[in-house]
Amino acid sequence: MDTEQLPPVAAAEQLAHEGEAAKGTPAATGIPGRERGERIRTAIAYVVMFGVAALFFIPFLWSVSTSFRTLADTVAGFSLLPKHWTLSGYREAFHTFNFGQYTLNSFIIAGAITISNLFLASLGGYAFARLKFPGREALFLLVLGTLMIPDQLRLVPIYLMLVNWIPSWVAHLGWHNASFINRNGVIGIQLVSAASLFLMRQYFLTIPRDLEEAAKLDGAGYFKTYRKVMLPLAGPAIAAVTILTFQGAWNGLFWAAILLQDKSQYTIPIGLANFHFAYQTLWPPLMAASVLAILPVLVLFIIFQRYFVAGVAASGVKG
Amino acid sequence: MAVAVAKRRQTRGLGNERVREALVGYGFIALPMAFFLLFFIVPVGYAVYISRYDWQIFKGPYVGFGNYRHLWHDSVFWTHAVRNTLVFTAFVVPLEVALGLALAVVVNQGIRFRGFFRAAFYFPSLAASAAIASIAIYILASDGLFNTVLNHLGYHHNNAWFTQESTALPSIIGLNAWTTSGTIMIFYLAGLQAIPTDVYEAAAIDGAGAWRTFWKVTFPLLKPAHFFVLVTSVIGALQMFDQAFLIGGASGGPNYSTMTMVLYLYNQSIKNISFGYGAAIGVVLFLFLFTVTLIQRLLFGKPEVA
Amino acid sequence: MRKRLIFPALLAAAVVASVLAAGSQAKTDRAAAPKVTTVTLNGWQVSPAEETKLQSVVSTFNKTHPNIKIDYSSITGDYQAQMLAKFAARKPPDVFYVDVADIRDWVGQGVIQPLNSYVKATKFSTKPFYKNLLNAFKVGKNYYGFPKDWSSLGMEVNTTLLGNNPVPKTWAQLRSVASRINVPGGKPICLSADWARMMAFVYQAGGSGQWKDATTAPFRAAVNFYVGLIKDGLAATPDKLGAGWCGEAFGKQKAAFAFEGNWMFPTMQSFPGVKFTTAPMPKGKRRGNLAFTVSYSMSKDSKHKAAAWQVLKYLVGKQGMQQWISLGLALPTRVDVHAVPGRGAFIRYPSAVHGWGAQKGFRHIWNDVANNELTAVIAGKESVNEMLQKIAAAAR
Repeated sequence: MDTEQLPPVAAAEQLAHEGEAAKGTPAATGIPGRERGERIRTAIAYVVMFGVAALFFIPFLWSVSTSFRTLADTVAGFSLLPKHWTLSGYREAFHTFNFGQYTLNSFIIAGAITISNLFLASLGGYAFARLKFPGREALFLLVLGTLMIPDQLRLVPIYLMLVNWIPSWVAHLGWHNASFINRNGVIGIQLVSAASLFLMRQYFLTIPRDLEEAAKLDGAGYFKTYRKVMLPLAGPAIAAVTILTFQGAWNGLFWAAILLQDKSQYTIPIGLANFHFAYQTLWPPLMAASVLAILPVLVLFIIFQRYFVAGVAASGVKG
Repeated sequence: MAVAVAKRRQTRGLGNERVREALVGYGFIALPMAFFLLFFIVPVGYAVYISRYDWQIFKGPYVGFGNYRHLWHDSVFWTHAVRNTLVFTAFVVPLEVALGLALAVVVNQGIRFRGFFRAAFYFPSLAASAAIASIAIYILASDGLFNTVLNHLGYHHNNAWFTQESTALPSIIGLNAWTTSGTIMIFYLAGLQAIPTDVYEAAAIDGAGAWRTFWKVTFPLLKPAHFFVLVTSVIGALQMFDQAFLIGGASGGPNYSTMTMVLYLYNQSIKNISFGYGAAIGVVLFLFLFTVTLIQRLLFGKPEVA
Repeated sequence: MRKRLIFPALLAAAVVASVLAAGSQAKTDRAAAPKVTTVTLNGWQVSPAEETKLQSVVSTFNKTHPNIKIDYSSITGDYQAQMLAKFAARKPPDVFYVDVADIRDWVGQGVIQPLNSYVKATKFSTKPFYKNLLNAFKVGKNYYGFPKDWSSLGMEVNTTLLGNNPVPKTWAQLRSVASRINVPGGKPICLSADWARMMAFVYQAGGSGQWKDATTAPFRAAVNFYVGLIKDGLAATPDKLGAGWCGEAFGKQKAAFAFEGNWMFPTMQSFPGVKFTTAPMPKGKRRGNLAFTVSYSMSKDSKHKAAAWQVLKYLVGKQGMQQWISLGLALPTRVDVHAVPGRGAFIRYPSAVHGWGAQKGFRHIWNDVANNELTAVIAGKESVNEMLQKIAAAAR
């Protein structure tokens, strides 16, 4: 496209393809004064970046500040920090509103969905990437096509299916009075997603075939190859699927709101609705709950960051 | 030794080997495909079925394409839901992509505290939409933090951003761009990491400044990332539900200003107690998304097949 | 080395997760005890205090009725959506709240149990109930629920800001007093862009309150008066006064007048130091007020109808209602139950009170058509006549 227009760039591309040639060449230096200019520019850049990062953080800092206030303090005049620091918001969230239970439920649901996704997506991803079978491309496009089906369209059909059809099917298998309008249903309808499968497939495609060939020559069957060769190498992809799936399930509101009937099974996003009443919103416990809700996903992200980016990289984003 | 083994494999019969591989292949994908069939394909079929009836809570009389005919004449759908969805997508996609790209480029520099900045910029994407919506309503209230800061800067704005018809949708656009930019940043970071550093050094040797390097070197080399980001963000934007629902409510905010197509689907199904009509809207929306994706693939090639 | 452990670790975790999930399911199955009929009760709560109060009413019932156990849970979030889902699944709760805005539609869908046979069989007397409220839940000859409490509107007046002016009693007086009052940082009157307030003025103008009559003269007169106050700078909607609703605006002293119901009493406890009084709604051509009420109803698909009726009967009976009403949030719907004192302004003219709701497609027209159009009219984007025509058309 426009790369042909500028000779320097074409040369750069050449170098990129050839790889090592330009690596040793140092950047232009030695020009007097340039280093100090660079340092000032770098300093300004850092200030700007910290400023933007602060902007990104400010809403959360504000929520944290609010979480330590009393309710009266939130309707009184504006102040950056609480007038009287108090833990009442947190106490209310846990005692009056059973936040501990909601957190546990969120963990169970998000954990189960993540593990299931890892299992099914890696199986499917490996097959679509490495195994040849008739209709492979068509089936893969079908999987991708599911991304175009809005959740809201599936709402009524899935609800009716979970309530009527599926219990009657499993009754034939001997499981009577089964109910899926609960935590099991929420997990069951999110066992695997097209996004996870896509990520795993793309990553498997980038693994060099030699390793598989070697395993085959050693007499390994397909499943053994999958288990002993492909999976161990798929670390970044596993990290990516883990973070994205856990985060989505942890924060998911839609299916949980419809399917969870028993208060003891509510998850955090539903629990947040508990603090909104018709004539009042209890901001301090709501903000306390919101702050606590972010912590697990934040920790997960911080731990897996580097692998996460590498995993996403192989999803076709890098071509 | 290996050669002998390979030769023996060859003489055993390629046909058997292929059949075996195909069977194993089907075995591997059996569970995931069964799942997609049961919870995606079948519901769409069921929804099409429901849309052919006057189905309120329970199945009513058969109306054929009656629901679709009604939808064709539904002015609220076309002048509000469709329009808002298209406006939303047209603004939020460039905004979040530009923001995500800028953040990725910044984080990708050999800077210190890289992990910190990456986490900081990804932070909004991590939070639950329920929490973000509550926080946003609180901050953008008429006497909230945002207006207070604006007042100090000399710009007096006394209205709540989400409840005023003219600012409701733009505020949601801004909010959504902010929360999605982190994910876009991750995608672009991945794409940037694939560009070898030699390219930059070569450009520096040739005297290209930072800006020129970005536009003439980095940007074009990110083409695969662009495709991926564009496709996913457009599809996501066209289906935005959570924030519109939590902030504007199921009725679509002040004078329908935050009513999107998926919210209208929900509204008609639940608030107007009409599962059949809602299903018709859903089918139309699905066909619309399908068409949009098809157009994108035709325009930009096939981004997902490596 | 670490990577080889990933797969078994995942498998183990998957097993643990599914065991946890299955285990908790089994626990809930084991919890239901035989011989005692469990009746499920669902509702929504407007405040944490209500939740606690209803739970104490439930435990009083459970103690005095050894054969029936009420399993109560409140539904947070979208009550209509949750209930619709339960109806569609044919697994609704036995007894539940029905808002008067929904009763017609839900009866029309055939999900509510007609109660006449139970009334007759147990000789339940309907005489103590206020007629207007009782009839809101009567469709044809059948009762489909009994009102559990009600609220109406009143006029709250900030006495400090009122100064020496008299409390207005008519539309004209409201206008003249408002134009003499100065509210720093706000406006004299707070008016909600909501037909659930404006309709009271329609009744005051002599209107019928039915959506299909939206194009009649009383509707036009009321809307012109209401919107006129805003256009003349004497009133504003709450979001322009820095509040989410008029109660909050009134509490923050950004308005001297608000038209809200008896729920203002608990609300104003969050704004101590505001001196205010309550007065009846002003008079137009005549007096008019709205009654917001909710019933306890029984589902048609209930599996324990006899026990459910016992629960329903108790909750709307003298004892159950007295305990509930003592919270002071809402008004009793029976003459033999005494309201918490201080609510006089809201119930001074009972004959002028009209039920809010009880029309077909009510909630949809109210939320999705009427209120949106009203917002457009207040913003100056639409004429009053256009709005009224659209509403009347939607009601057809």
